[in-house]
Amino acid sequence: MSYFRSAEFRLAAALLALASLAAGCAVASSGGMYFGRVAPPEGQVMRYVTGDEIESLDPQVGTGQPDARVYEALYEGLVEYGPKDSLPIPAIAEELPKVNADSSELVFHLRKNARWSNGEPITAKDFVYTFQRGLSPKLASRNAYLAYYIKYSEAYNTGGSFLRDTKTNKFLAEKDVSPDAAKEAEAATDKPPAHEDFAPDTPFHQFMHEPARLVLSGDDAARKAQLEANPNIKAAIDAKELEVVPVEAKDIGVEAVDDYTLRVTLRQGAPFFLGLMAHQFFRAIPHGPIEKYGPKWTEPQNIVTSGPFRLKERILYDRTVVEKDPMYWDAGVVRLNRIIFYPVKDNNTIMNLYKVGEIDAFLNHTVPPGWIDHMRPLKDYMYTPENGTDYYDFNCRSGPFTDKRLRKAFNMAIDKETFAKWRKTVTPLTGFVPVGIFPRYPNPKGDDFNPERARQLMAEAGYPVTKNGDGDFVCEKFPVSEVEVIYNPPSSNKDIAVFLQAQWKKHLGITVPLREMEFRTFLQVRANGDYKGIARDAWGGDYMDPFTFLNLFYKGAENGSGWHDDKYDAILDEANRATTEEERYRLFAKAEAYMLEEQPVIPLDTPTVNWMKKPYVKGMYPNPLTLHPWKFVYIEYDQAKWDQGIPQMAE
Amino acid sequence: MLRFIVRRLLIMVPTVLVIITLTWGLIRLAPGNFYSSEKNIPAAIVKNIRAKYGLDQHWTVQYGRVMARLFGFQYVPARDAEGKEVVGDDGQLVMKTEWHPYPDFGDSLKFEGKSVNQIIADTLPISATVGLLAYLLALVVGLAAGTAAALRQNSKLDYASMALAMLGISIPNFVLGPLLVLVFSLTLYWLPPARWGGFPSWSLVMPVLTLSALYMAYIARLTRSGMLEVLRADYVRTARAKGLSERQVVFRHVMRGGLLPVISFSGPALAYLIVGTVVVEQVFALPGLGNYFLNANFNRDEPVIIGIVAFLSIAILVFNLLVDIAYALIDPRIRY
Repeated sequence: MSYFRSAEFRLAAALLALASLAAGCAVASSGGMYFGRVAPPEGQVMRYVTGDEIESLDPQVGTGQPDARVYEALYEGLVEYGPKDSLPIPAIAEELPKVNADSSELVFHLRKNARWSNGEPITAKDFVYTFQRGLSPKLASRNAYLAYYIKYSEAYNTGGSFLRDTKTNKFLAEKDVSPDAAKEAEAATDKPPAHEDFAPDTPFHQFMHEPARLVLSGDDAARKAQLEANPNIKAAIDAKELEVVPVEAKDIGVEAVDDYTLRVTLRQGAPFFLGLMAHQFFRAIPHGPIEKYGPKWTEPQNIVTSGPFRLKERILYDRTVVEKDPMYWDAGVVRLNRIIFYPVKDNNTIMNLYKVGEIDAFLNHTVPPGWIDHMRPLKDYMYTPENGTDYYDFNCRSGPFTDKRLRKAFNMAIDKETFAKWRKTVTPLTGFVPVGIFPRYPNPKGDDFNPERARQLMAEAGYPVTKNGDGDFVCEKFPVSEVEVIYNPPSSNKDIAVFLQAQWKKHLGITVPLREMEFRTFLQVRANGDYKGIARDAWGGDYMDPFTFLNLFYKGAENGSGWHDDKYDAILDEANRATTEEERYRLFAKAEAYMLEEQPVIPLDTPTVNWMKKPYVKGMYPNPLTLHPWKFVYIEYDQAKWDQGIPQMAE
Repeated sequence: MLRFIVRRLLIMVPTVLVIITLTWGLIRLAPGNFYSSEKNIPAAIVKNIRAKYGLDQHWTVQYGRVMARLFGFQYVPARDAEGKEVVGDDGQLVMKTEWHPYPDFGDSLKFEGKSVNQIIADTLPISATVGLLAYLLALVVGLAAGTAAALRQNSKLDYASMALAMLGISIPNFVLGPLLVLVFSLTLYWLPPARWGGFPSWSLVMPVLTLSALYMAYIARLTRSGMLEVLRADYVRTARAKGLSERQVVFRHVMRGGLLPVISFSGPALAYLIVGTVVVEQVFALPGLGNYFLNANFNRDEPVIIGIVAFLSIAILVFNLLVDIAYALIDPRIRY
């Protein structure tokens, strides 16, 4: 009895009461139309959480999406992502470029009034510098591969060389060596000239349209193999008849025809390339400060920017503040005076900041899964299908899953409809390219949920699935010790792995062990294929075209499964040469169907963009890439004009 | 005394070197790289990156570079009068060795162009502010509560303060922090739920409270038990017998002896408060040293990890030395 009178007990009771009261209030106060407090900040200031701290203010260094959103304020490229559909809109280019028939050459006409934040004009030469610098091996940009479609840029970035005949001073062409290339070149001469004259012809332009030069690889092993395959060339180099000329910045397919005309020549037809050019890697960066200050050019006292905002302040892990730049060519449109980007990693912390009204909007995938049901009816919850795909890799390099039948069986044993219902926000996916993103793309279907057929395939592969006394499936022969599902934190990834594990247990009688790995360890293990069987994977598209997904398996690109196939590559090559979108998409779908038949991955779902913004934030839309051109965003102080739900996308 | 201090300082040098060597080795053993991301990078680009940061050199060269930096040597591109990098006749950058009278940990790998020294200089004040305020709060409240409890042993006051102290010790700060946020931010809208608002600002209240709870509780309990022991000591009875007032007995005699455990606790605690803010800095998203340290480990940012480990190990060793000196000053029985 005395215990209940003790101070300890009374204190504990009081604290418990307080905590339960607090929890009760938290739910009650969000029962309104919006989550938490709604009070627009004074003076057209936007406070945004963009995720983890960005790596750098140099758009060719930072690779993440958080970085991309800051770059959208500070830098502008030839084109910009559209605010609603993420498709390219003109930016420093006056209008979308003129593109030749096979989409291998783009001519941009620049605005005459585009200026750097120091008032100097932005010209075509600045873009030539931007592209050349981004591709220089010395910078070692992790995004350089995005620009590899530009002619000779891969050779430049990877230290490749041309071969020059010392007698004739001519460069060796691919067609001189490979019969395939010769055939192709011949075929090309039959056709009308592939380039149209959107800009005057120049010696550089002629160089770009010479037969493709042979490139000697910059990688020692690859170069050796190349020379061994062509002993004539090796002998000629040794006899000094051929001179090895390293590919230089000036050789890549970017040309300032005049101060305001930029011509970009690609090594192949690439209709998607324009969509890629809004990417941070292609945004204008200043020549002078970079040469002068090296990596310190992004310090506030040195930095020069090209976008609608300029840098005011940056404190790592605290805030990056940008303010409206009066030098910006379209400054009249910009209504925000200032944007404060807060780096916050923890989702609960972000939600807390949003609830009390310390921030006005935040990044994608922040609302914790358990909160979705509560948030979805609110008027400040934004969602739309995402330009991404969630899947699991099979290790096609080694282990039991080198057997295609097993891959198909494990895929068919997963009920993706139920999976999507359980995940709440996603759309089930049997294919690889997301659904609902590319309206004219005929998404092929992969195998449906079919546990019967899955068990049949298991039996064919030598692992019969039988029923035990309790009516549960068992598969005694399957070597469970040789497989494992690996995934990385956070715990939502674990929940998905557990779901898949339960499906396989239920339908195939196999309990696949799960293993969680720290993020960077996981990345390395997956990239090297050092995992036993199955690995979590996901991909967010770089641009709005199915190729950003299909490209993952193109020409032995480094995908987690290790799967690649020459036939698949050939279909994609054909597709990118197609002249109409319809034909191109048809061939893409053919390639995707071919890949799905091989089943290197378990497709799971098309994720959903989900984030929140206060109703007074206008000009910001849920779009497939969750990249927002800040010049259109503003704070509305007139309550009558606030957004009541997802803003009108048709406006 | 002086000999003791000099000897301790000399031992610190090999200690720090061993710590750094072990840290460096552990970073190299950890799988993954600072440049890896969800999107796989082509091998040729990885090669460029490794060449840029000297990761393709022999490990002895890389280790030597880390050690040289610790002693203030840096191998950097030469610059002309205008600050431009000098390019030699072979087209390569001209490099030169520089020396500073302090360790120079180089630039962060993750945050290009940010020097580790600058990062430490920027973030230490934030961690130190939160840490010191928490320590002061813990000291004032802890000492008061502990002393009061000891002087009124077995009273309601004693029970209440010791119960609170037990609570402070039992509730981990990653629970206490969010609980405070729930009440004071999300429900009452009184205080900001996270972020650094400068000094002084309301944003300090909850991090400081959260951080100090444990120390407050420890100090209260240490003070109470220390004082209780001394209150029964012969020299306290003598002091009372001399006819000193109760106030004089408590402040001049009891406290001096009773505080020794608190002091020996304070050294590591103070050092730990700068390191130990990792959790609190995460909960409240503060841009402090602990936050950097944690993220540098996730990012495999070798120069930042090494810089912060070196800094912290030196700080802890120095604090321990200071405690030993303080011991000798307070307790006349201790001699070195």
